[in-house]
Amino acid sequence: MIVVEDVHKRYRTDHGPGKWVLSGVSFTIPKNVNVGLVGRNGAGKSTLLRLIGGIDTPNRGRIERHCRVSWPMGFGGGLQGSLTGRQNAKFVCRVLGHEHDMAARIAFMQDFAEIGASFDEPVKTYSSGMKSRLQFAMSLAFDFDVYISDEVTSTGDAAFRSKANKAFKNLANRAGLIMVSHSDSTLREFCSAGIWLHEGRAHWFDDIGDALKNYKESIAA
Amino acid sequence: MSVVVRSGLSVTCSAWKALLLRETVNRLAAGRGAWVWILLEPLIHVMFMLLMFTAVRVTNVGGIDATLWLTIGMVAFFLFRRTANQCTNAISANRALFTYRQVKPVDTVLVRAATEGFLMMLVLILALCVLALLGHEILPADPMTLLGALLGLWLVGLGFGLVFSVGVELVPEVGKVVNIIMMPAYFMSGVMVQIGAIPEPYRSWLALNPLVHGVESARLAFAPYYHTIGDLSLGYLYSWALVLVFLGLALQLRFAQRVVSQ
Repeated sequence: MIVVEDVHKRYRTDHGPGKWVLSGVSFTIPKNVNVGLVGRNGAGKSTLLRLIGGIDTPNRGRIERHCRVSWPMGFGGGLQGSLTGRQNAKFVCRVLGHEHDMAARIAFMQDFAEIGASFDEPVKTYSSGMKSRLQFAMSLAFDFDVYISDEVTSTGDAAFRSKANKAFKNLANRAGLIMVSHSDSTLREFCSAGIWLHEGRAHWFDDIGDALKNYKESIAA
Repeated sequence: MSVVVRSGLSVTCSAWKALLLRETVNRLAAGRGAWVWILLEPLIHVMFMLLMFTAVRVTNVGGIDATLWLTIGMVAFFLFRRTANQCTNAISANRALFTYRQVKPVDTVLVRAATEGFLMMLVLILALCVLALLGHEILPADPMTLLGALLGLWLVGLGFGLVFSVGVELVPEVGKVVNIIMMPAYFMSGVMVQIGAIPEPYRSWLALNPLVHGVESARLAFAPYYHTIGDLSLGYLYSWALVLVFLGLALQLRFAQRVVSQ
């Protein structure tokens, strides 16, 4: 379960504090519920994911994580360009305290990512699709209760998406997913509930379809 | 499924270990023969200066072998400078890794200091071995003072890095200032000039620089009869180290969130 209570967040700009990205966001994500985040560009979706992932802290309000939450995967974050895929994978294993069973986990990542010999090449030579594959494989190698995905599936090809879909279906009975995507079909495929971020506030919908409907209406108006 | 919650200490230890291996790989294996250059760069610098010195026929500085005098001085100063520079850039170089909430900015700085201290120890040992092969007397008369001086210089470098790694993140222009400072620091730390031979009152002014005390103590450890400044004090060096490290850690604590959030 993840509790987000009255969270406010703004960033510092060159001209002092910026405008509030999130102002008074509250919701509770129950256990094992897959949630899709929708909202226009700049509505604060990635910010909210970073806050939930514990990388950043809110200016006001609090976030409680009563479970193991993954790091937000997406946009090449968490991968060091100068290191190879394997070295990055080892780094993550060590940071998460899984040094003793590192070999098995890395074998899993290598197998799942299917990027072949590139696994031993520096990450900066990867395409965005390859990065997504690696990030996805890296997070799946650990038992989180909630996985956070920031458009990570959007750059993958059809084969990878179906594989990711299958992997998440397998996890569905023991883990949840919080994802941002601009693709309706992806959201409907993966998520049951939805959060619509609009003007700094979050609106919870038990059905992702309703969240998408509200979002669509807001941009049409 | 049982949930094992790791203690804060064990999380930090595993983050340090992962970062240390990452830093070392990055430093020693990035590019062709990177590790050769890491070791050779300061040695070539020393050799060049030695060539300049011996060309003007200086064989004796303040009562000790000029070759040893210059080598120890330069390696001791580089220990400070490289630690300070590497630490200052630690946070920006590891930004991608803050995606994992286990990794805090201060961890990257501490780990870089450890890596650099270790590498400079190797450089010092290598340099002394070369001097020994060339027939110089390289055994320090007072090894503990030598270690004390080097540790002090490393700590000042670490403190400097802790302070300025935050400074650079908050105000990017600070990075340029640090680069500017390093040049005069090199000349005013008595690396190439014998501070003990400089007349008063300038000598006392130069002695305000804590690096002078570290560099001169390291030389004095090799030859007790070395003519240095009168009020040489490792305590002064360590006072600076203490203040800088404390200030640096305080800044890291105060600005940890802001450094990560941008």
